[in-house]
Amino acid sequence: MIYATIARLTHRPFLALGLILASAGTLAAQVTVSGRITDKANGQPLVGARVVVVGTSLTAATNAEGRYRIGNVPSGPGQVRASQIGYASATKSTTVSEAGGSTIDFTLVLTPYSLDEVVVTATGDQAKREISNAVSTVEVTEMVKTSPIANMSDLLVAKAPGVQVLPGNITGGGARVRIRGNSSLSLSNNPIYVVDGIRVISDVNSSSIGVGGTNPSRVNDLNPEDIESIDVVRGPSASTLYGTDAANGVIIIKTKKGKAGRPVWNAYIEQGMIRDENKYPSNYRAWRTGSSTASNATVCRLSDQVARTCTVDSLTAYNPWRDIDASPLSTGNRKQYGMQVSGGSDAIRYFMSGEWEDEVGVITMPAAFRERLLASRNIGKVPYEQWHPNALRKVNARANLSANVSEQADVQVNIGFVTSSQRLPQVDNNTTGLGSNLYGGPGFKNNIITPGNGVGVRNNLGYRLFTPDEFFSETVNQDINRTITSGTFNYRPTSWLAARVVGGLDFISRQDGDLCRRDECTPFTAIYRTGFRQDNRSTFFNYTLDANATASYRMGDQVGAKSVIGLQYGKEKFNRNAGYAENLSPGGTTLQSGSNPSVSEATSISATAGFFAEQNISYKDRLYLTAAVRSDKNSAFGTNFQRVFYPKAGVSYVISDEGFFPKARALSSLRLRGSYGASGRQPGPNDALPFFGTLTTNVDGIDSPGLVVSSLGNAGIRPERSAEIELGFDAGFADGKVSLEFTYYKKSSKDALIARTLAPSAGTAATRLENIGKTQNEGIEASINAGIINNRNFSWETTLSGSYNKGKIVSLGGNPPSRGTTTSDIEGYPIQAWWLRPYTYQDKNADGIIAWWAPTTVLGVVTQDVRNELFVGDTTIYVGPSLPPAEFTAYNTFDLFGKKLRIQALVDAKVGGYQLNGNERIRCQSRTNCQGDMDPKSSLKVQAAAVAVRQHPLATQYGYVEKTDFIRFRELSFTYSFSDKWARWFAADRISATLSGRNLGFLTKYSGIDPESGYFGTSIGVVSDFQTTPAPTYYTFRLNVAF
Amino acid sequence: MAFILEGLDMTKLSMARSGRRMVGTAALGCAVFLVGCDVALRANDPDIVVTATSAAGAIALKNGVIGRLNGATAGIQGPDGIFPFGGLLADEWRLGDTFEQRITMDKRNIVVTNSFLAGPFRDLNRTRVEGRGAIDALRKYSPSPATNIALMFALTAFSEVQIGETFCNGIPFSDVLNGTITFGNPVSVDSAFRRAINSADSALLNNGGVASEVTRMTSLANVVKARAQLNRGLYAAAAATVATVATSFSYTLTFSLGTRDNQNWALGLNAGRYVVANSEGGNGLNFVTAADPRIVTVTLPRGPFDSSIPISWIYTTKWDRSDPVVIASGIEARLIEAEAALQAGDGVTFLAKINTARQTRVDLPNITIDPGTLATRADLLFRERAFWMFGTGHRLGDLRRLIRQYGRGAETVFPTGTFVTGGTYGPDVNMPISFDELNNPNIPQTPATQLQSTCTDRNA
Repeated sequence: MIYATIARLTHRPFLALGLILASAGTLAAQVTVSGRITDKANGQPLVGARVVVVGTSLTAATNAEGRYRIGNVPSGPGQVRASQIGYASATKSTTVSEAGGSTIDFTLVLTPYSLDEVVVTATGDQAKREISNAVSTVEVTEMVKTSPIANMSDLLVAKAPGVQVLPGNITGGGARVRIRGNSSLSLSNNPIYVVDGIRVISDVNSSSIGVGGTNPSRVNDLNPEDIESIDVVRGPSASTLYGTDAANGVIIIKTKKGKAGRPVWNAYIEQGMIRDENKYPSNYRAWRTGSSTASNATVCRLSDQVARTCTVDSLTAYNPWRDIDASPLSTGNRKQYGMQVSGGSDAIRYFMSGEWEDEVGVITMPAAFRERLLASRNIGKVPYEQWHPNALRKVNARANLSANVSEQADVQVNIGFVTSSQRLPQVDNNTTGLGSNLYGGPGFKNNIITPGNGVGVRNNLGYRLFTPDEFFSETVNQDINRTITSGTFNYRPTSWLAARVVGGLDFISRQDGDLCRRDECTPFTAIYRTGFRQDNRSTFFNYTLDANATASYRMGDQVGAKSVIGLQYGKEKFNRNAGYAENLSPGGTTLQSGSNPSVSEATSISATAGFFAEQNISYKDRLYLTAAVRSDKNSAFGTNFQRVFYPKAGVSYVISDEGFFPKARALSSLRLRGSYGASGRQPGPNDALPFFGTLTTNVDGIDSPGLVVSSLGNAGIRPERSAEIELGFDAGFADGKVSLEFTYYKKSSKDALIARTLAPSAGTAATRLENIGKTQNEGIEASINAGIINNRNFSWETTLSGSYNKGKIVSLGGNPPSRGTTTSDIEGYPIQAWWLRPYTYQDKNADGIIAWWAPTTVLGVVTQDVRNELFVGDTTIYVGPSLPPAEFTAYNTFDLFGKKLRIQALVDAKVGGYQLNGNERIRCQSRTNCQGDMDPKSSLKVQAAAVAVRQHPLATQYGYVEKTDFIRFRELSFTYSFSDKWARWFAADRISATLSGRNLGFLTKYSGIDPESGYFGTSIGVVSDFQTTPAPTYYTFRLNVAF
Repeated sequence: MAFILEGLDMTKLSMARSGRRMVGTAALGCAVFLVGCDVALRANDPDIVVTATSAAGAIALKNGVIGRLNGATAGIQGPDGIFPFGGLLADEWRLGDTFEQRITMDKRNIVVTNSFLAGPFRDLNRTRVEGRGAIDALRKYSPSPATNIALMFALTAFSEVQIGETFCNGIPFSDVLNGTITFGNPVSVDSAFRRAINSADSALLNNGGVASEVTRMTSLANVVKARAQLNRGLYAAAAATVATVATSFSYTLTFSLGTRDNQNWALGLNAGRYVVANSEGGNGLNFVTAADPRIVTVTLPRGPFDSSIPISWIYTTKWDRSDPVVIASGIEARLIEAEAALQAGDGVTFLAKINTARQTRVDLPNITIDPGTLATRADLLFRERAFWMFGTGHRLGDLRRLIRQYGRGAETVFPTGTFVTGGTYGPDVNMPISFDELNNPNIPQTPATQLQSTCTDRNA
């Protein structure tokens, strides 16, 4: 019935609206090609293999029996190619007769590497050999079954060269993803995400309420279990046709689709525990001997000893993180239960899934403080959300339908839904948070202080000001309801013409809440003491409409051509209504329970319309030339700038297919590729406009409406334009058992948008976006995949990859350098690199203590004190980049015992980056508990860092900016596949069990807790390792059952 | 070469029906897309206002200027308003927290990259620049009452005198007209005071309307003008300027729960980031132990924001959350007259003027003993000014005047010696202009690696 209905609809012309296609009549006698594809090794049918009639738009996939059928094939001579992931492709020549069509069977051979693998591009699926760029593909389906993958961040980290991922460090925390470095000075450097053909919202730090540290990323709303594969398009040379906003790369996600055949059910259960295995620093305090008990309890810093105001005679150290009374760390847990089913007929196929996930992080309220809370509130049970302030609960559901409407048309509808509830703890850069109070605690356990209400005294158990019963009683939550809906309509009216329309909507409803009940939170301020409630409700709409048509034709026997034209429209809309109230009623938790309520509203709208044309020419199916152009118009462009054009050109040459190329087993395939392309980043929705903001002002005691200048605008603003040259080769060795991909790229952003600081004396907006900068990233990427051993009882496959990126600011367009306390934007150096005043030190008197003595000034003459042992430079120097330029990964897979047991291990390293150990900086500068400021036996190096930041007038943090080189044991998993006999005993087809671990350890010289510790903000994403609790370790067990 | 559509030689085939249909549909599709494009790209953001071309708009711009000054002085934090931040550099406030921006300000060792520097300077200039914009709009759309225009000129003068008292020599005053910036050249603080006098005169010339409001604006303009004159050493002229200002006059910036909090409360009583100083660095006044009724202090229950700071646990209750802040008053007028008398050697008038101010409070007795000398009279006068105008942005300028006009050494008026969290006090007696001002092409550019001030000098 459905089939018939859709079939009828396809004859209606309105379905062709906007397409450059028509129901062209049959131009030649057209017949059917069919056949079967099997695995050469065992004769088993290959399901989902792709079959294409070379040089046409005709394609099909095999069903559960491995059979395919392609209609409308023009009669006469031609070629048919079959390919499947993990197998070498095969091409057969045939002459299709008008009478009976043709039957062509294939047997494919397993091979780890093939140039005929299909990747998703802006114009549709294409074989790798045709594409002039490097595209990394992550096959997700198997990976999630056998690896410790809890979220999208886990899926992306260390999986593709040039893609650098900084994972989140708490449950639900988002990741920072950078592809080929930072290239934008003021706009986001995040890649964009495309799911089943539509652009989806991928905001990082997606919350309107700060907790001091990492906030959620909308990328993590996507369920890895629903994903079939991810293609990473790394730079403008490949992302041109994705248009304005794609300059930072494109992550293309393809969700699982049904395959024809009986229903196949996959159920999985995952249970895990989360432990914090990090080594936290102790807090120190040095003491003097006084004349009384009271004066004995007086701090004596090393600097006090130098000044001879006291002598350190004892030192206490206390590590509250590992004291059961004080430690906020517990064993977290993770649960995930899901089921998927796929199947269908050749006409209609389906994939449906559902999953429930629950994770409780390691941060907890310690028992001593729970007891204190119970006593102070006179209640019998600690509210669970305050006991465990970091948690995530998520439910996912998906339904993907594919239907062959006719031999000429098919349609796909994909609907994904997620609802989640996230709790975020008060952490990191937050006075009323965990890190500030525990890293900042005194060097002893029983610190007695006067509480915030000023009544009596209490034991803070090593916490500085506030305690967990107070700061974890402020609960921040985020509830998400999100639907990603897309539809794809493919129409092939003739063998040479194909059209595709993709449309969809990504809709998010987000509620951010912050609740501090009266008399429950930190007594930080009067507002905290009397309670407050924040309730921000936002909606996000992201619309995509994409249509293109492809004409495939031949010019002679050896030259094939393909012309593509397309249109694309995208619109993003954001609305937020926010409410806030304070001075809550006792027990009140809502806005109306507070006094002094306030409301606000925010809206952001951005729309892009573009069209593109691409011309592909192939010669002998080994040389592929591509030329394309895309033009965009965007609502954010200035009135003096109307349209942007992005060109693209590329060549892919499978030179090993040439007759002259030596046929050697050692070098079985070689492809050379090169491309040039441009893409962009759009400015903000209102950056072009001069406008006023509203500012209600109290005038003579009356609240009065006011207007202030918010933006000078920039009528000439245009997108940031990045152009890239990419050169590389793909080589297969030993019959494809070993493959090597190598890529060189050079990316330049010419009209880099800089939030140009406007001189404060102008008395206007602080910044204005101007296209005045130029940045450059240049680097190499390489990966080697090798099946080293492949025996029945033991096989070993390894993938080694690495990348190196050198980024720099070429020009600031006459803008003065942007200089901050620790990071700066200076021409010739990386974006937001570390620039600090250096210092030197020398223990002149050999007393083991670094002393600083101020110079004296007499009649304007400055004289250094001869006793001074620390000297700070007059100018800042370049210390290093904030983003590690180099990354290396080693991914090894071992199969043992007849491939029953699979062991996978992922080790990765990041090299060359620097980070501010802000945690130790503030401990030494302000907290009176760092070793360098307290311990006479601490090294001169740590003492000098403390003296420079605490005592010297210039307070340089040079000593705390450190290299973050590390090598990390990221993943380890053991998967056992039970025998068919066992599976059948449980009425299943397959059963496997996986034991895995994530974040198992690392080696580094970084003196902080973890070189990847920290949270990130701003468009550049410089990491701040400031009072952060680093990522914990995950241990999970998973059971997969297919039936 | 034949042009072949898979199995079809296009050179021999008529494109008749299918070709025409295809081309036609394509053309139609493109036309629909291009025509619809502009409609689809419209993005109207309700968050913004693009014009203010009405009487109500002009009044709103005027209110916006008051809001700007409100923020610049005592209505924002992080960066902090100039009233508390300047008081931190002087001896009014002590550091209570861990922010490096505040540490270095309190320590008199300010680096030009201090991210709190640009904010108050920009906001004071916003008052000035947007004040000009409001004047233009008021003249065009709401010229009556003229007291609104006078107020804008007076607040412009106030921002100019506040800039002069706070920042170093080498202050640029830029302007914006129709979205175009005209960059100013660095000028001396004395030039800033001259600008302020001119702006105040404009306020006096553009005044008109209801009598009581005219008087209020006249008094405001005169006090601000006299303050600028005082800074220029024009003591007698300053006294003459304020002669008609009633002692009971005051112009206040006001706050409310619905708009903005008084940050003297937020930074002090509420959070303990700032605590009232007491004889800071030896030279500072004893704002706490003096137990003066003009500055009521009590102990913070849990100490300052940063518990590691070993200072007394004190805070001021002078301001609550929505308490107004006086920026010009008849008290200030009397003290200006007292200073003129001091400079003229008239001890009787000097004391009389001081006591006229003190007599406005029942809890302040008259001062009956003339200190006798210029130096001791100056000590008394500046102490009176400090206690009367605590936290209102006057103290830093006064300490600078003690150096500049009374010949005191910087190390005798500013806090000196060992700093509470380590190291010693530095030499700064004013705030440098933020390095953000390097975006002004009229400022000499320095090499990227140097963190030099844009000041022409750092003298008082």
